[in-house]
Amino acid sequence: MRFSVFSQLALYIRDVSLGVWSIFESCFTAFPYLFRWGDLRKEVTEGYPDPVSSKTADDLPPRSRGLLFNDIDRCTGCRECERSCPAQCIHIEEEPGADASKIWVSVFDIDFAQCIFCGLCVDVCQPASLIHTRQYEGAAYSLSDLVASFGRGQVTAEQRAKWAALRQLSESDEVTL
Amino acid sequence: MNTGNDQISWIVSWCRAIGLTPSNTPPWLYALLALLCTFCFVVVPSGAFISYLDRKLSADLQARVGPNRAGPGGLFQPFADILKLLQKDTQKQWGWRENFWLSVHTMALYSTLAVLPLGSVALLVDTEMSAFLPFWSALVLGLGTMLLGLSQESVPGWFGGIRVAAQTLAGSFPALVALLCVGIRAGGFRWSVLANSQGFSPWSWAVFANPFLLVAFFIFVMSGLVLLAIAPLDGGLSMSDIHGGVSSHLFGRRLSLFRFGRFYGFFLWSVITVVLFLGAWRLPNGFTHGLLRLEAYSVLAVFELVWLLLKTFTLMLLIVWISRVNTRSRVDQITDFSWKVLSPFSLLALVGASIWAGWRAF
Amino acid sequence: MKRNSNDFFKTDLTTWEIGPYHGSLPAPMRLKLSLDGEIIASCQIETGFLHRGLEKACELHSWKSVIAYADHLDPEAAVFGELVLCLGVEEIGEIVVPARAQCIRVILAELTRISSHLAYIVRIARAVGSETIIHYVLRDRERILDLFELLTGARFSLNFLRFGGVCADVTDGFIERVLEVCEMIRIRMKEYNDLFTFNHGFLKRSAFVGTLPTSLIRACGMTGPNARASGVNFDVRKETPYMGYDELEFQIPLGQGEGGNIGDVHDRFLLRLREISQSMEILKQVADRVPAGDFISSKVEKDYVVPPGEAYARIESSRGLLGCHVVSDGKEKPSRVQFRPPSLAHLMAVPELVEGIRIEDLPVVLASLDLGVAEADR
Repeated sequence: MRFSVFSQLALYIRDVSLGVWSIFESCFTAFPYLFRWGDLRKEVTEGYPDPVSSKTADDLPPRSRGLLFNDIDRCTGCRECERSCPAQCIHIEEEPGADASKIWVSVFDIDFAQCIFCGLCVDVCQPASLIHTRQYEGAAYSLSDLVASFGRGQVTAEQRAKWAALRQLSESDEVTL
Repeated sequence: MNTGNDQISWIVSWCRAIGLTPSNTPPWLYALLALLCTFCFVVVPSGAFISYLDRKLSADLQARVGPNRAGPGGLFQPFADILKLLQKDTQKQWGWRENFWLSVHTMALYSTLAVLPLGSVALLVDTEMSAFLPFWSALVLGLGTMLLGLSQESVPGWFGGIRVAAQTLAGSFPALVALLCVGIRAGGFRWSVLANSQGFSPWSWAVFANPFLLVAFFIFVMSGLVLLAIAPLDGGLSMSDIHGGVSSHLFGRRLSLFRFGRFYGFFLWSVITVVLFLGAWRLPNGFTHGLLRLEAYSVLAVFELVWLLLKTFTLMLLIVWISRVNTRSRVDQITDFSWKVLSPFSLLALVGASIWAGWRAF
Repeated sequence: MKRNSNDFFKTDLTTWEIGPYHGSLPAPMRLKLSLDGEIIASCQIETGFLHRGLEKACELHSWKSVIAYADHLDPEAAVFGELVLCLGVEEIGEIVVPARAQCIRVILAELTRISSHLAYIVRIARAVGSETIIHYVLRDRERILDLFELLTGARFSLNFLRFGGVCADVTDGFIERVLEVCEMIRIRMKEYNDLFTFNHGFLKRSAFVGTLPTSLIRACGMTGPNARASGVNFDVRKETPYMGYDELEFQIPLGQGEGGNIGDVHDRFLLRLREISQSMEILKQVADRVPAGDFISSKVEKDYVVPPGEAYARIESSRGLLGCHVVSDGKEKPSRVQFRPPSLAHLMAVPELVEGIRIEDLPVVLASLDLGVAEADR
């Protein structure tokens, strides 16, 4: 009996002293952070939108998948991106352009509310017109503002008339040749 | 007139401290003024200051920046928080029970404003049992909090209420015994007696007077944390599993009332600890006597208050540091700790302090 | 405390329904608890709040896009979803992955394992109430996420693996940065141990709490670190090696019960710390010998259509055995993609594991199981 009482008392004292010591040890481990001793103990948070400390788009790695941008002049309207998008967020409308070889991409909308930034559309783009920029600040105040339009717009009646005239001119040129 | 003189005698020194001459105005008006002054100029600014320092200190420890937008370096953050909380309110109608228990809870806390020992001239209530009055109000506070929890219709409230009651009971015993140790050394439980038994330099503080009082100091601080459910021993108001327990149904203004009450409990306990163990408001003797001779009571009161608050804030921030770095304990571990560790050690400290005091008397 | 018919007459039991959002739950799910005082007498679990129809969506998109869906299976450890799908398709199509691509895949997988275990430390620390370690660990996890961004362009949903390899080669300096980050984490682990692992308060809350018996592990089919902490020696990387793991030297840590029992919360925590160390060993070995070569198999062209067939691929994800059953009928969209997430087995063990613990231990025990409810619900 005596043995068990003493051993219990010893365990109790050991428990209490271990508790006290480990609390102090944890406190002292965190102590150097108060004075930012060493490189590993600097602040990790950045002030945002503090212009001095927060990152810009150029600080990000070159492969960063930010907001998408489509260069409409190089776009051939092949619709590969629309087909491969898992979230089906690209909407394309097109029609034949001034002559048979060109395609007029009237509507090229990317809905960034749906986009998951997976990069599959950029992967399949043959003319490399669709690219990821490194912009990450895409917040807007309404859902409709989140749709980015890169298309050339619907063809107007006078443009159609001009194209028809151009086509007639080139046909008549061929006949004379 | 005799009773009148007795009534205003205890307010006379306070009036001198803030520069008023006592006249024929009724003493209760002075008392009300005293309470309001203490609340508005000592407690509320301390609350704002401590809340800001708490967040900045935690941020520094955690390699973060902390509040930095509201005001220069985030100094106005507490005011921004209070303004935000005060604007929020719920449409839910409160029954008489919740209102009643919240009032009991609040009254129990702020009844100690009169007993707050803030200086040798600014003492309002300095009776033989002054040091015990906060305990009474802490117990009533425990009761009020428990019933606030039990009056809810949901499990978090019930559990929170019972846990807080268990913690209050567990923490009160070692706290009282540790208080007895100090009283034995000082020879009484008047604030002025307790303060005058210590001096300005750390060697004359009660905590370093003998090893038993050092133990009693730690026990007093920790049992206070248990009694008032202050982090890291705040299992009764645990956020992780019962969403704050008693306060889980409070929003907006009521929540700010509750939270401020929690801060005030912490502040009260720290002030009492400093007065009992860490040298109270005692400035160097020459300095104090010089000011008294010049009858510059308000200057003396301000100096003593600032010195007292400096020590109080240091103690509070040390506790905040410990709570941010360590884990939170379970409620049954807290009550176990209080009954099985704090109580035996406090009794040991009491016996030792008594023997020490008795031996010195001979 | 087994449930029997007498419980029906116990009217002093409190019923409490927690969820779907609650502080003690790691993810949306509903727990119907019946409490005897502070002790949980019984528990019923209800999940499905994160069901997104992932497997059906896989049947509606072309093979290439399906990788993006598999990536979103488990948002915290995205690579494992892609990896298991790619392995399944490569088995059907008999595609041989070039050695360089395999090494890159191993690097990504082990980095994801380390990142997932670091997030686990954060969850446990939050459940226990220790705030400081959370920020230190997240700071280190940011370095790993920066590595992902450097290589793939994204931090969480990488979408980097393709059938037959990876979609691009490593950037300059990537391998060196990987080794630097490993070294940094190795130094920091000492700080975590000083601050948190052997903290008395944490030991009190985690030792002898939530012990997983091996019978429950076998009954539910639990795998991964949860099972290994209780002594069940099963790791897919050793049992059925894939992706070149049989050529690498590493050990499988098992639970030793240093804080309390074998298989309690503290043991599961310590085991994952040891797994982080082992992952760093693997990374060092692989980084030393990344061979030159292609990063994708030449057999796979732009519009690769998977030939008819089916395969079942198994990998060791950070939570356990992740399986994927891929069925192809030669068309441009998959016929069926079915995932076997490890967290589903863990969820099935929750009702029995939670019986008899205090309500305050609930957040700690649930966090210690590393439940990925997103992958369990799919």
